[in-house]
Amino acid sequence: IKMAGNFRFPDVDTDGSEKSEEMEIVVNVGGVRQVFYGDNLNQYPETRLAELINCLSGGYDSIFSLCDDYDPGKREFYFDRDPDAFKCIIDVYYFGEIHMKKGICPICFKNEMEFWKVDLKFLDDCCKTHLSEKKEELEEIARRVQLILDDLGVDASESRWKRCQKCIWKFLEKPESSYPARVIAVLSFLFILISSVVMCVGTIPDLQVVDAEGNRMEHPTLDSIETACIGWFTVEYMLRLIASPNKLHFALSFMNIVDVLAILPFYVSLTLTHLGAKLMELSNVQQAVQALRIMRIARIFKLARHSSGLQTLTYALKRSFKELGLLLMYLAVGIFVFSALGYTMEQSHPETLFKSIPQSFWWAIITMTTVGYGDIYPKTTLGKLNAAISFLCGVIAIALPIHPIINNFVRYYNKQRVLETAAKHELELMELNSAEGKAVGSKSELEDISREGKEGPFYSSRLKVSHSDTFIHLLSEEKHYRTRLQSCK
Amino acid sequence: MPLGMNKHGSRSTTSLPPDPTDIVRSKACSRRVKLNVGGLAHEVLWRTLDRLPRTRLGKLRDCNTHDSLMEICDDYNLEENEYFFDRHPGAFTSILNFYRTGKLHMMEEMCALSFSQELDYWGVDEIYLESCCQARYHQKKEQMNEELKREAETLREREGEEFDNTCCAEKRKKLWDLLEKPNSSVAAKILAIISIMFIVLSTIALSLNTLPELQGVDEFGQTTDNPQLAHVEAVCIAWFTMEYLLRFLSSPKKWKFFKGPLNAIDLLAILPYYVTIFLTESNKSVLQFQNVRRVVQIFRIMRILRILKLARHSTGLQSLGFTLRRSYNELGLLILFLAMGIMIFSSLVFFAEKDEDDTKFKSIPASFWWATITMTTVGYGDIYPKTLLGKIVGGLCCIAGVLVIALPIPIIVNNFSEFYKEQKRQEKAIKRREALERAKRNGSIVSMNMKDAFARSIELMDIVVEKNGESIAKKDKVQDNHLSPSKWKWTKRTLSETSSSKSFETKEHGSPEKARSSSSPQHLNVQQLEDMYNKMAKTQSQPNLNTKDSTQPGKQKEELEMETLPGPMVPLLTTRTDGVVDMRSMSSIDSFISCAAEFPDSGRFSHSPLTTLPCKGGINVIQEQSRPEGSGARYVEMNPSSEGSHRSAFFIDSPKSSIKASNPLKLRSLKVNFMEEDTSTLVPASNVLRIYPDSLKSWGAAAAATDSSLLSDRSLMSPEPSIYTTASARTPPKSPESQAAIAFNFHDAGIHKYIDADTDDEGQLMYDSSPPGNVSPKYNVTNSGYLKQKDHVYRTEKNHLEAAALPTSPNLIGQNCIYSMEGITGRTQGNQETVRLENHISPEVHVLPGSGGHANTHDQSI
Repeated sequence: IKMAGNFRFPDVDTDGSEKSEEMEIVVNVGGVRQVFYGDNLNQYPETRLAELINCLSGGYDSIFSLCDDYDPGKREFYFDRDPDAFKCIIDVYYFGEIHMKKGICPICFKNEMEFWKVDLKFLDDCCKTHLSEKKEELEEIARRVQLILDDLGVDASESRWKRCQKCIWKFLEKPESSYPARVIAVLSFLFILISSVVMCVGTIPDLQVVDAEGNRMEHPTLDSIETACIGWFTVEYMLRLIASPNKLHFALSFMNIVDVLAILPFYVSLTLTHLGAKLMELSNVQQAVQALRIMRIARIFKLARHSSGLQTLTYALKRSFKELGLLLMYLAVGIFVFSALGYTMEQSHPETLFKSIPQSFWWAIITMTTVGYGDIYPKTTLGKLNAAISFLCGVIAIALPIHPIINNFVRYYNKQRVLETAAKHELELMELNSAEGKAVGSKSELEDISREGKEGPFYSSRLKVSHSDTFIHLLSEEKHYRTRLQSCK
Repeated sequence: MPLGMNKHGSRSTTSLPPDPTDIVRSKACSRRVKLNVGGLAHEVLWRTLDRLPRTRLGKLRDCNTHDSLMEICDDYNLEENEYFFDRHPGAFTSILNFYRTGKLHMMEEMCALSFSQELDYWGVDEIYLESCCQARYHQKKEQMNEELKREAETLREREGEEFDNTCCAEKRKKLWDLLEKPNSSVAAKILAIISIMFIVLSTIALSLNTLPELQGVDEFGQTTDNPQLAHVEAVCIAWFTMEYLLRFLSSPKKWKFFKGPLNAIDLLAILPYYVTIFLTESNKSVLQFQNVRRVVQIFRIMRILRILKLARHSTGLQSLGFTLRRSYNELGLLILFLAMGIMIFSSLVFFAEKDEDDTKFKSIPASFWWATITMTTVGYGDIYPKTLLGKIVGGLCCIAGVLVIALPIPIIVNNFSEFYKEQKRQEKAIKRREALERAKRNGSIVSMNMKDAFARSIELMDIVVEKNGESIAKKDKVQDNHLSPSKWKWTKRTLSETSSSKSFETKEHGSPEKARSSSSPQHLNVQQLEDMYNKMAKTQSQPNLNTKDSTQPGKQKEELEMETLPGPMVPLLTTRTDGVVDMRSMSSIDSFISCAAEFPDSGRFSHSPLTTLPCKGGINVIQEQSRPEGSGARYVEMNPSSEGSHRSAFFIDSPKSSIKASNPLKLRSLKVNFMEEDTSTLVPASNVLRIYPDSLKSWGAAAAATDSSLLSDRSLMSPEPSIYTTASARTPPKSPESQAAIAFNFHDAGIHKYIDADTDDEGQLMYDSSPPGNVSPKYNVTNSGYLKQKDHVYRTEKNHLEAAALPTSPNLIGQNCIYSMEGITGRTQGNQETVRLENHISPEVHVLPGSGGHANTHDQSI
């Protein structure tokens, strides 16, 4: 019927091509009619609406390649798209920039912009941040899903060694994957705790023994416990290294560096005590061993592997690097000013505790952070006044930059939880797909992509594609009406 | 009211459901379809909808019959290719985009629960939400579910406090209320205050007991309690014990009571005292042994737990406890941060300071204390670093401590404030619910949920099917369906609870007006009509009519006396259509056109009643002819709903009159609907008439559902029927057609009201609130924006209301009659506006001498 209608009005195109400048076209987007003038649209010739003018001369094939329907009588182009987003997008022809309507999902809006062939650069900055945030979130979800998928996917085609490797990797890195893996994780956690406690307890003078040369040595039982712990750590690290799919990436990741730092001091001091005596003086060796001892503290950071909260903290601190700098700067300025003031004001007192400006730095820090040990305190009236002011300034200087840091932390913490649920539901969807036997192809494809080492955005888009396409298909295949709603009642 | 609605209304005016072929044709003629969701028009390709064929929109295309279409959408208009859904328009935008782009996103400000309801309605599974929106959606939904669950739990708890009939249940319940619910009575409040005072007193006594000046020395040289304070303590403990035991005895569920955290605290507050007494009494001889002393000391410390008893009396303390329980994750995080910080900084400072002489950082555990005091910025000053390295570490430790403690606290605070808010909200909700329940018990509100509203259309269909069902039951059902909880609550209360049983019966038996109107004039009229009908029936289509007859008697018996009217009326209508054939053969269109042309000439047709009457006859016949084109089922759907609004309107004016007026109305219209169905089956015989040109079609709108409104009009108030009857009584000798004409004039006005009343109830309310005389200005204002047809509706509505308010005034009745007639003429002329205005200004002028006189006499006779 439609085509017959078209042939009845064959003179549309000639009319249109002659004066495309003053020509007006009627666009119907999902039921919303809008009239445009040709010169207005031609400002951005690469957009779909501008192409519409040019296509009028190209006959009906080109028209229908651009729009979904065309009414030759009213000369109205019909697009089967979201009218709300369209209303925002046409702003580009009038104002040169686009603002997203509140309430529209940014990702959805981005897709609409792509459909209308309007470049993303026209989107104003205020709305762009919103979009980029959402994008990041999506990538994060995709990454999580990818990780979980990696765990699930067991490829039979791989060699036996590879499969074995994967098995170990799963065993050590993913405590959620199986019960033994969970036991291993708990065991590892306990070892960290024990070794930390041993390190602390070892310094108690009552528990130390004096060796032949009069040096205090650690208790032999504590020493053996320490050795056992280090042995466990070493084995764990080696296994991880062997099983890791990407050795370099593994060795350079933060958590693994911490692992190395936790193990290394033990071996270095071992070699130094056994071989170092021949190479250098004994006192030097002992100093080196002492220095290496401090590095044992690094093993506490190993706990971060087992706590998402700590990871969040590191992330938040990383994100709020600027604010941290601000905090330190405020404090530094405050310390300088108030220690100098305190020093000068306390000069009049004969038994002053402020012996020099660098010494009064300590006092300034302790006062400004409201710790107040009481080892140094002002004695003159002016000094006390100065102390009161420095205390107030310290509170403010700390409180102000801390707020954004806290904000970052809270936001990231909440986002983490949101992402967890999102990943869970995404997986649910995947499961649904794979149960239908439709998504198998896309899933393996996805894994291939990830193996090529592509980063988040790429495979997230692939994920999206497979996601939407399969589920549309699925819906048309078989639709089940779920009445989860009932649970709410 | 949007213009689009009016167009929808136009479909119903053609009284039959459209032919499946028509539906298919209308779908085939365009690639697109218009979807009107809650007033927001969308246009979409059929192809797009086909992408998800199992969803509601996907099914739309496959539905080619009227019934199946009505199952899916709420209304449709084939000419416009438009389908109406009575749903939230905002959510639909995103759902339609799912069809277009394959990505289901959610409006950001949309409530998750409402969105999930929308998803259910449209048949889209929530799992297809894109992950960017899914996270938000699920989080919100889970949160909502959790809240609802908790609310339900508290409610269940309250309901669960049922006291079995074991022993003196009533007394126990009273005691329980007295002890557990301080808000229940003044005595309970006083009891709670006394309890608080005892707690405070015992705590003070406990603290004073440790003052060395107040302590005594026993025979072993050990300090003992002050005897006065010991007495205070004993009294307090006695009170606590009594309280606990009473609570325990009165509690409905002993084990649950025992397990409750607050009760466990109570027990812990009491027990140490008794344990101490037991230990000291039994071991008097061995009290000197250190071990026993130590145990006693420990139990003594446990007495301090009684301060927690205050939690029972303070929601703030309870919410604090709940917050701590809920945010144990964050608390754990806080402790973990602190522990790690302490660990790191203490070991660092140890290595920095250990070479210092007489350092206090002797070991890492020893420096833990320093690290804790520094990180929490307490800073006693008993240990502090002295070396430069140590001082640097100390400085870092301060800053790190401030940071680390500050980070997780906002989350906990957030939890607390959320819970606190929730607690407050819940208290309010419970109060509201109690009020609601009280109201329900008093019979003011009937429970009503969304599901009923969903099933509305289906249930209505059911009503149509079960023709012979209980009228009362039917009525209730309809009411339920059409009263939305918020708006109709009050009308509903009076109608469904108080009046439906009571006033309905009075209507049936007691109401004098009714009895009168039904008995005397109408019955006569019925007889006449039936005679006529029989005459006509002989000539044509006997088999059909016979079946009609067979169904009707049963119905008539069931219904009230006055409801017998519908029965004969319907056959009358069908015969009229038969009569039309004859009429057409004589006068046909020419005569009709001439009639129409006559109106402008005659100006006020009221001046020349003789000429107008025949004209009207012709018009009505034509209307009747066009009737088959409409859909009959439409009435079925619309009438009950209009009644809902109608009733509400009346109710606002005067409850009593509304009850009287509305109840029979409802019955009538229901009945009428059934008839209508029947007649529609008869209609095909007159399909030939459809050939008739556009001029006839234009009448289709006016001719809608004539019979039902007629009946309801008549039933509404006695005077109106009387007018009708007089008119018919006057005309019979002339011809059946003319008689029918009057009947029709009467109603086609009424019909419109029925069709549109549900959408126009606001307008109607306005009329109701203003006295009959003052209606015109407002009326004009509201009408100005509407279509002609709508105007007509309003006018008739007003007439009805006036008639209802002043049932005995003959003027009004006459006016009523005129209005309805004039509506028809006005439409033919096209300048209804002026005519209407004039009518309003001077209604008396237009009174037909004949009918007015008749009405008068009739009233007098009544």
